[in-house]
Amino acid sequence: MHKLSNKKRLGIFLLLGVAIYFLSGAVDELRVYQGASVAVFVLGISSIILLTGYSGQVSLGQGALLGVGGYAAALMRIHYNAPIWLCFSAAIIVAAMAGGLLGLAAARLSGPYLAGTTLALAVGLPSIANQFAFLGGEQGLLFDVGFPPLSLGKDFTQYKWFFWIASLATLIAIFWLQNVMRSRYGRSWKAVRGNDVAAELAGINLTRNKTLAFTLSAGLAGLSGALLAMTIGTVSPSAFPLSLSFSLLTGAVLSGVTTLGGVMIGAVTLVAIPEIAGAVASRFSSSEAVTNNLPGLLVSTLLILTVLFVPNGPVEQLRTRREHRVNK
Amino acid sequence: MIQFINTILIGFTSGAIYALMAMAIVLVWRSTRVINFAQAGLALASAYIGYQVVQSISNYWVALIIAMFAGAALSALIEIAFMRLLLKHTSSGPIASVAPIIATLGLLGIIKAGIAMIWGGQYVVVKPPLSNTGFSIGTHTLVFSPMKLAIVISVASLVLVFSLIFQKTNIGLALRASAFAPEIARLAGVKVDLVRTLGWALSGAAGAVAGLLLTSNGNGSFSPESMEFSLLLISGFIAAVIGGLESLVGAVIGGLVLGLVTSFVLMYISGSLFFIAPFVVLLIVLFIRPQGIIGVKVGRRA
Repeated sequence: MHKLSNKKRLGIFLLLGVAIYFLSGAVDELRVYQGASVAVFVLGISSIILLTGYSGQVSLGQGALLGVGGYAAALMRIHYNAPIWLCFSAAIIVAAMAGGLLGLAAARLSGPYLAGTTLALAVGLPSIANQFAFLGGEQGLLFDVGFPPLSLGKDFTQYKWFFWIASLATLIAIFWLQNVMRSRYGRSWKAVRGNDVAAELAGINLTRNKTLAFTLSAGLAGLSGALLAMTIGTVSPSAFPLSLSFSLLTGAVLSGVTTLGGVMIGAVTLVAIPEIAGAVASRFSSSEAVTNNLPGLLVSTLLILTVLFVPNGPVEQLRTRREHRVNK
Repeated sequence: MIQFINTILIGFTSGAIYALMAMAIVLVWRSTRVINFAQAGLALASAYIGYQVVQSISNYWVALIIAMFAGAALSALIEIAFMRLLLKHTSSGPIASVAPIIATLGLLGIIKAGIAMIWGGQYVVVKPPLSNTGFSIGTHTLVFSPMKLAIVISVASLVLVFSLIFQKTNIGLALRASAFAPEIARLAGVKVDLVRTLGWALSGAAGAVAGLLLTSNGNGSFSPESMEFSLLLISGFIAAVIGGLESLVGAVIGGLVLGLVTSFVLMYISGSLFFIAPFVVLLIVLFIRPQGIIGVKVGRRA
């Protein structure tokens, strides 16, 4: 990655923000809603990239952590009528604490053990909502961030409001994440991923590093979950199914797990695929069973093709090819 | 007292199914060092194949055997057409350790979507061939039914066949040798690649039987989205970890232990802990005895 100074990067992020601001005015409602979904996925995928790409741990249970964040935000809203930003902060903190606990366990595990454990978590955790009455059971809880403030004008729609909140939160979080990746911690994570024994010999505390990665990743996931809950309006066990965890992992692989640079690719693909599949299916006027399952088939096929042929993701692939050419 | 006996019997039955799944996972792990998360998809596919066969010839036991061979064939096909390619392509690089996990998840997605395309997303029913009303002793009715007994007998006979293959035949020797030391096995003239495929096929057979029996342990209805199959995968994985992930005996013991523990939790603590109880068991095992009950602690290879 070419190095940019902090000021320049802050500038780029501000520009991005302005671009998003104008974009949201120019496109229709559906696109605005999809934009909010992209923001949710960007955060969710980044949380996996941080974990898998940078610290070499794989989590199949990220959806469960999104759920923790969503519930925390909804509970804050319902019981304390807290302002939105406070709800989101609560989501981050509670999910990060859950992630920290998980990370303590995960630091002792590697490879398949960790994958299986997090998978078990993803299957098990949503059912907890049925166990405790204050979590609202199968129906879940309402999470209403309220109407957009009147000062934004009369024709400012609810979805646009969601989109603004989601993009702003995502921009801030990604900017922060990039800084973390370039810090001492980011470098030690990369070292651990490269060779954990060597990293340990060089004085890196493995347990602490892995736990920290898990904690931060869970915080991001929690924020993503709160944003997801905002766009749906409720939190319930069915909003955070196993397939959500798999989608996020797919998005991360499509983006390339080793770098944040491609994160948009995965997020946009995840949002676009149902639409593409719908278009394809209606073109060939196929049966309902095919139409409903085409997105799943496409996503899984893409996932496998990516793992087979561009295992490090498109961005990384392009860069190594360019470096090759330069060296030649 | 009757509740206690019931709990043990229920735990024993579901434990037997978990044991089969654990065997499937262990077989693949020993032959290729991959946890095959697509195993849940294979179990689902076998349930649907069983459904199709029962529809046309309406004999459950024939369907079970056909599903078993179909599962074996499917699993072997995955190994030949896919896993070889994958292990060749991603043997190094930052995601080398993660790639097989992700790839088998992708396979799971493809299998599930494929099934839903062929058979539709709604529930189908394979009626359990035997009654699910429990035996009665005197005035008490047990929850242990003829169907549950048949499940336990099927699993036991399959385990017996597997252990005969492993202990008494040359194929079994080759399987054990290639798992223990692939390089040396190859030098000794074992066709390791072929043996690997065979390991996957055996695993597919065990997983397929587990899948169909799982549906018959309940009311026989399932859909592509049924959580039972994910839970079966998790339970099988946990049982395998309890058994040390390397040994077939361990897998069977692990399955039974897990079945009994979850059964007691559900009966005596709360039924809604159904999905989370296995996770807690797994955490406890990993913290207390990460090498499994009968596993031997080895130094981790970096």
